[in-house]
Amino acid sequence: MQPTSSMNEEFLKKWQMGLQIFRPSIDNTSVHERKKAIKLSADVAMASLRKGTTCWSRALIEKTATEDNFLVRQMLSGIKAETLINKKLPKKTVCHRKIVRRSKKILRRKSKSASEEAAAKAKRLVKRRTQGLRNVVPGGELMSNDVLLLQETLDYIVSLQTQVNVMRSIVDAAEAEIER
Amino acid sequence: MLEGLVSQESLSLNSMDMSVLERLKWVQQQQQQLQQVVSHSSNNSPELLQILQFHGSNNDELLESSFSQFQMLGSGFGPNYNMGFGPPHESISRTSSCHMEPVDTMEVLLKTGEETRAVALKNKRKPEVKTREEQKTEKKIKVEAETESSMKGKSNMGNTEASSDTSKETSKGASENQKLDYIHVRARRGQATDRHSLAERARREKISKKMKYLQDIVPGCNKVTGKAGMLDEIINYVQCLQRQVEFLSMKLAVLNPELELAVEDVSVKQFQAYFTNVVASKQSIMVDVPLFPLDQQGSLDLSAINPNQTTSIEAPSGSWETQSQSLYNTSSLGFHY
Repeated sequence: MQPTSSMNEEFLKKWQMGLQIFRPSIDNTSVHERKKAIKLSADVAMASLRKGTTCWSRALIEKTATEDNFLVRQMLSGIKAETLINKKLPKKTVCHRKIVRRSKKILRRKSKSASEEAAAKAKRLVKRRTQGLRNVVPGGELMSNDVLLLQETLDYIVSLQTQVNVMRSIVDAAEAEIER
Repeated sequence: MLEGLVSQESLSLNSMDMSVLERLKWVQQQQQQLQQVVSHSSNNSPELLQILQFHGSNNDELLESSFSQFQMLGSGFGPNYNMGFGPPHESISRTSSCHMEPVDTMEVLLKTGEETRAVALKNKRKPEVKTREEQKTEKKIKVEAETESSMKGKSNMGNTEASSDTSKETSKGASENQKLDYIHVRARRGQATDRHSLAERARREKISKKMKYLQDIVPGCNKVTGKAGMLDEIINYVQCLQRQVEFLSMKLAVLNPELELAVEDVSVKQFQAYFTNVVASKQSIMVDVPLFPLDQQGSLDLSAINPNQTTSIEAPSGSWETQSQSLYNTSSLGFHY
C-alpha cells in the first residue's frame, strides 16, 4: 500500500487552498508563524483526505479547530465542517488508581512457573509498545481495541507519506526556482 | 670239643627236624621253594670262601679243622634252614600283606565311604549355601522390586505434577499461545472449540493481517520478528514522518516568505511537464498496479461519500479547472522527483 497520485493531487489542492487563506494575514511575520501556518494547513489538508471517516482524522480536525476554527471551516466547507467539529468523540474511561493497585497485588500473590512468567513479561512488553503507538497516532487514546488501532495506524501512515512526498516536491521546486 | 660236637649235632638234628616239618608244611607252595633255592645259592658262596681261607691259615690242625668243617657245614645248614625261615617269614609277611590288603581295601572303602559321606555332606552343605545365596538374591530382587515400585510411585507423582502444570498453563496462557512461538501449551478437552476461543482466534487473525500490511508499508520492518519489535519499528517510523513534516514546513517558511506557491509552482511544472509526460505516465501505471488493496479501501470511502465529491466537483470554477490540471502535472512531477 502506497499513496496514490489522486491522493497527492487532492492533498496539494487542499493545501494550496489553506495557504491562500493564510496569505493576506502572513505578510511581514516571523518564520515561526509562517511555519505554524504551513503546518496547520497541511494537517487539515491531510485530515480532509479521509473526510472524517477515520478516528485519527476526526481527532486531528478537532485539534486544529481549537487552534484556528476559521481555517478549518473554510477548508472543510464542502464536507459538513460543523458536523465534524461538533461531533462528540468517545471519552476515555478513567480507573481509580487504588483499585488498580489492589487488583495487581492480588494477581501478584499467586506464584507463577517459569513459562508463565516469561509469557507475562512478553505480554507486558507488547502492552507497553501498544500504549506508545496510541500516544503517537492522533486519537489513539480513544480506540478501544487493538484491531482498530492497527487499522487507524495503517491509514495514518499512508496519509503521512502522501503529505511528506508532496511537501518534499514543493521544497525541491522552490529550491530549483531560487537557484535559477 | 666232643661236647661241643654233640651240642652242635643236637642243634643240627633239631634244625633238621624243624626243616623237615617246615618242608612238609610248605610243600604245597612250590614257587616259594624255588625262591628258597635261589636264596641258598646266594648264601653258600661267601661261606665256601671263608672255609677255604680257614684251610689255608690252619695246616697243623687238619683233622680238627675237618671236624670243625663238618660242624661248620652243619652250622651252614643251620643258617640255611634259618635262612629257610626267612622266606616263610617273607611269605608270612606276604600273606600278612595279603591279609592286610583287604584291610587296606576296607580302610580304603571306609575312607572312600567317609569321603563320599564328606562329599555328600559338602554337597548337602553346598546346596544349603546355594539356597542361602539364592535367598540373598531373592531378597535383593525383592528390594529392587520395592525400589522399582517406589520409583513407579514417584513417576506417577511426577506425571500428576506435570499434568497439573499443563492444566495451569492452559488455563492461564491460552490467549498467549500464538503470540509466543517458544511456548507450546496444549489446550484441554473441549477448550479449542469454545465460543470464546473461536472469537479470540478470529481476533488474533485480524491482528496478524493488519500487522502484515504494516510490515509492507514500513521499511525495515521485515527483518524484525515478534510483535513487540514490530510495534517498535512502526512507532519509530511514524515519529520519523512527523519530524519530516515539521522540518519541511520550516524549510518552506524560510524559502518562500510570501507563500506564493500557486503561480511559481504552476509555471515550473508546466515547463517540466512537456518533457516528462511519457515517463510520468509509465510511472503512474507502474505505481497503480501494486495499489490494489488500498484502492479497494479508497473505493469504499469514495462510494461512501459520493454526494460530497459531487458537491466538491461542482464547486470549482474555470480557474479551478486550470489549477487542477496544473496540480495533476505537479503530482506527476512529484513522482518524477
